[in-house]
Amino acid sequence: MPSITFDKISKSFGATRVIDEFTATVPDKEFLVLLGPSGCGKSTMLRMIAGLTEITSGELRFDDIIVNNLTPKKRSIAFVFQSYALYPHMSVRSNIAFPLVMDRFRWWHHIPIVGGFARRAIMHRSDVAAKVDDVAQMLELTQLLDRKPKALSGGQRQRVALARSLVREPSVYLLDEPLSNLDAKLRTQMRAEISALHARVQKTFVYVTHDQVEAMTMGTRIIVLNAGIVQQYGLPKDIYDRPANVFVAKFIGSPPMNLFPCEVCDAQLRIGEHLVPGTERLAEILASAGLTRATLGVRAENFAVQTSASTRGHPAHVAAVEHLGAETIVGFKMGPSDGPIDVGSAATRGLYYARLPGDISLALGQNIWMEPDITGAVLFDIDSGDRLDTDEEAHVTVATR
Amino acid sequence: MIGRRRLGLGLRMVLALLLVILAGFPLYWMLNTSMTPSTQLYGGKQSFIPDFTRIGNAFGVLVTGVPFLRWMGNSAIVAIGTTALSLLLATLAAYALSRYRFVGKGPLALGFFATQMLPEALLVVPLYSLFTTLGLLNHLYGLVLVDTAFAMPVAMFVLKAAMDGINYEIEESARVDGCGPLSILQIMVVPLIAPSIAAAAVITFFDGWNEYLFATTFVSDRQSWVASTGLASFIGEFITPLDTVFSGAVVFTIPAVVFFLIMQRRIVSGLTAGSVKG
Repeated sequence: MPSITFDKISKSFGATRVIDEFTATVPDKEFLVLLGPSGCGKSTMLRMIAGLTEITSGELRFDDIIVNNLTPKKRSIAFVFQSYALYPHMSVRSNIAFPLVMDRFRWWHHIPIVGGFARRAIMHRSDVAAKVDDVAQMLELTQLLDRKPKALSGGQRQRVALARSLVREPSVYLLDEPLSNLDAKLRTQMRAEISALHARVQKTFVYVTHDQVEAMTMGTRIIVLNAGIVQQYGLPKDIYDRPANVFVAKFIGSPPMNLFPCEVCDAQLRIGEHLVPGTERLAEILASAGLTRATLGVRAENFAVQTSASTRGHPAHVAAVEHLGAETIVGFKMGPSDGPIDVGSAATRGLYYARLPGDISLALGQNIWMEPDITGAVLFDIDSGDRLDTDEEAHVTVATR
Repeated sequence: MIGRRRLGLGLRMVLALLLVILAGFPLYWMLNTSMTPSTQLYGGKQSFIPDFTRIGNAFGVLVTGVPFLRWMGNSAIVAIGTTALSLLLATLAAYALSRYRFVGKGPLALGFFATQMLPEALLVVPLYSLFTTLGLLNHLYGLVLVDTAFAMPVAMFVLKAAMDGINYEIEESARVDGCGPLSILQIMVVPLIAPSIAAAAVITFFDGWNEYLFATTFVSDRQSWVASTGLASFIGEFITPLDTVFSGAVVFTIPAVVFFLIMQRRIVSGLTAGSVKG
């Protein structure tokens, strides 16, 4: 079963380069998530793995076999499309059995009518039928086998698409935003189902999404793409805690990472008008980079809030409150409240987020004092936006676990 | 409110009825004329109600006097041949134009379109010389070829429009599942555009069935005539038996109507069948 190697893969459509020298190795049996905003080239990447889109330059290898010129069928892959791409004129059973039927396709099946009967005969053969029944049972589709796709709900269609990809037992599963057409509740459920499926079939999954929640919850490895360039490749936790650059810091996490310009002041860090005691780690990073100014990234959960003035706190005011039950996301702006609450695009300008317990009660415009905990904070270069402590792992090639 | 709605419905019914009469009356008059003796037709006293006792006289002459049934058979061969050949070629051409990118695609589509701009009469002479050279004169398959040349582009555009509407991901999924291009066309695309194929079949069938100009010019052997030529031959230099002409016309119309009715069901069912989304 293959590991997938991308060796300087590039893709251009005419003069437009959509993927630029993509290099990475995905070990076998991983759940790789290609994550990025719309139009970043992630779907193109997936389609190149599938063989649906030609690779402009570079090598794609499954284990050590170059698959650039292999047809999709020869690559032993399954592809789940965003629209599910079920065959609307076929029953669920025919849909699921279709890859098996095509495996046994002979030239004379092209003869009209005769070929139709032949394909039907294959579908009802005991080995094929047994496989279809197994898969259908696994995904709870047994009751629906005789229906047409249009008589199914969104989640059921999704499961049929999964069943169709499972039935041929491919070594790589490719999923292109398979959950984007489902409602929020169903999405959560299908997320768990797909993760469970991955655990069960023990094959390599490559999953494309723009939803960082899906990426964090399902992926064992994540590649963050932006504008055709790999921003970071790593484990979900690494990407969350140690984003490679400002883009990743803002893209991953809901709410995104807070980024403050900061400056070294003796042993302290100056954020805006206020000083926080620096940590040895941060000081070292700055010293080895030879910088005194940087962008400080702090996750929303690393804030404490005081409603009365405190010496360690930074004055700020509440600009948004989202009660989520167990927790409250508080949007705040630095400095005390200065008049009416901003609206429009000004509402999100200079807005920072803190993740606080659910029982906290804060009012819009209320003055608060924020206390950041910078022990786990990261520093980015102000100009390039890259993280300053690019440590042992170069951010594209992560060593096999 | 209800009253107005009922009034609207009534108005629509009346309008529909008027349209039916407008379209149906010539057909009815054709049937009526076929059962009226020639003498009465020329005497100008035609009854509104057909004289069904004359049904034997009206249609008997078609069987006994002339090989009309044979001509009908020839027409059927030409029409079915044209339909089959046109659909086969149109499906392949439409798929290529819909899905593939190749050099000369635009000009090719324009070329297909251009065939529809030329009047058939303009092409009779060059085609006649071509038919002489190729030895196609007096052969029904010659007519099939020439009718296909004119009917196929129309069918092609109908089918291409339908194929353009198919979600591309369905075909890609089929590719991943192991379909070659021909299998995709056959197993996925054709069933999905069946209603449009039925519509194209109607168009091409009527093209072949109704065609007159080429049929009279290229087929001189009386046994190989198609029904349209045969029917026209009833109109004589000195005598035109109008009742026979019209009974021939009635018989000539029936297969075409039957074919349309068979196909129509498919066309209408297709309007709702394609609505599978996401």
